[in-house]
Amino acid sequence: MRNRFAGSTVVAAAALAVFSLMPVPAVGQTASATIPRTADGHPDLSGIWQVMNTAAWDIQSHSAQQGVPAGIGVVDGDEIPYTPAAAARKKANYDNRGTLDPETKCYLPGVPRVMYMPFPFQIVQTPTLMTVLFEYAHAVRNIFMNTPHPTGLIDWWMGDSRGRWEGDTLVIDVTHFNADTWFDRAGNFHSEEMHLVERLTPFGPDRIDYEVTIEDPRVFTRPWKMSMILYRHAERNLRLLEYECYSFEGQEIYKPIHTP
Amino acid sequence: MTLTQSIAKAVLAAACVVLPITDAAADQTATSRQTAASKQPYTQPRTPDGQPDIRGFWHIVPAGSYSLEDQSLQGLGGGDFETRRPGGTRLVDPPDGKIPYQPWAAAKAKDIYDHHMDPKPHQLDPQSRCWLQGVPRAMYQSESNYLQTPGQIVILHDYSHSYRVIPLDNRPRLPEHMKLFMGDARGRWEGNTLVIETTNLNDLPWFDLVGSFHSDALRVTERLTRVDDATMDYVVLIEDPKMYTRPWTMRFVMKRNTEANWEQWEHACHEGERSLDRLLTRPER
Repeated sequence: MRNRFAGSTVVAAAALAVFSLMPVPAVGQTASATIPRTADGHPDLSGIWQVMNTAAWDIQSHSAQQGVPAGIGVVDGDEIPYTPAAAARKKANYDNRGTLDPETKCYLPGVPRVMYMPFPFQIVQTPTLMTVLFEYAHAVRNIFMNTPHPTGLIDWWMGDSRGRWEGDTLVIDVTHFNADTWFDRAGNFHSEEMHLVERLTPFGPDRIDYEVTIEDPRVFTRPWKMSMILYRHAERNLRLLEYECYSFEGQEIYKPIHTP
Repeated sequence: MTLTQSIAKAVLAAACVVLPITDAAADQTATSRQTAASKQPYTQPRTPDGQPDIRGFWHIVPAGSYSLEDQSLQGLGGGDFETRRPGGTRLVDPPDGKIPYQPWAAAKAKDIYDHHMDPKPHQLDPQSRCWLQGVPRAMYQSESNYLQTPGQIVILHDYSHSYRVIPLDNRPRLPEHMKLFMGDARGRWEGNTLVIETTNLNDLPWFDLVGSFHSDALRVTERLTRVDDATMDYVVLIEDPKMYTRPWTMRFVMKRNTEANWEQWEHACHEGERSLDRLLTRPER
């Protein structure tokens, strides 16, 4: 007799393999009902959040190395569509990442890299301004709500962020970047023409699905996307601490004035 | 321009901030010792969650943190530690307006003061390195955006995008050995006065450019009271038994930036720093 359970087991295993890389689905209505909301009905994203992935080291899939955990990539399709010239530059960045990575100087990580650094961040929500405070190098993102980008020649490390709500999704348009930040420690980079659209959609009270679409015609042949999950920190009395990396080396210099 | 003059310019640039235009004459009157209680009572608006409303962009008048004890040094440089003039002091206690150093600390402060125009590395204001300015200097160095959400106050400082998160509850403090540039703050409302007590401060930031420094035993108690739509009274008690012979108090007037649609933009201090290396490693050092 044909064993129909064997057939369905194979199908189930295949389904599991496909779904293992995706968030575990839950009933949409239940998830929406448990999202905390502000008085104006929008999701309340206030709190301390952090990613649990290895994008900070390399946004594409990578095996482990000394000091680098292995990780599945956060790039849709696992491919970054560099132009041929840009691909060569990426390789040179990677080969010299120990000196070229702006993180080695404790420079502001830029966006989206700051969102997946291995440090917590705190969202402070008001109707006209969402501010994100980062433990890493006290970086700050001011997301001005429902207002246009300023015009003119502006290049900022963290870009200029303008937000609006589309249903329960916070959509952030980011432009006015400099070319001095990377996407990760693996040398992935962009130009001043980079333009981002981020979408933050809460899924229940303790998780935000974070997607960012990257456009930069000087470096990439088409737009591309990263997706990852922001997890709410649940520890009691948690607060952001400090990681003042550019002060570590110099602190010893002031010891003599504190010694009677 | 001589090397000393160009250093002075670089040092001043770190200490001075471009501010919105305010009424200088009215501000001078406000910096006298007239107390808030002698004015007409102000009916303070409330935030949606019922806190006295101090939201908005506030800055100290007069501006800057060159020298707490002698504001006449703003824009001039130089001066002498022993003869520093108390008339321009931010201190309201002790009465002579001078920081009450213990003798060993006074000697260290004098060394920095005498060399701040031509500093060796340990005589250079840490703020010039773009290090976090600490408490209370971050409050009087540059304009700050005060946010209030249920149960907390968040202050975003312009200078080097520093910030303070002040919970309005009694959650446990950090372990005593953990020291942060911006410390660990707890706030509470006493009527319309916000009282902030900050501990766990490290000893790295200075109160001003000329070397008013402190130890990691520092405890700062601040009282902020909005006295009218555009004015806030700011009183700071400094306690540090390792450094001073007694506690001392500073007082400032804050003014609110009433320009419509004002936004706080990026100040990438560390990333933009170019002269620090040259300042510290020039050949004649």
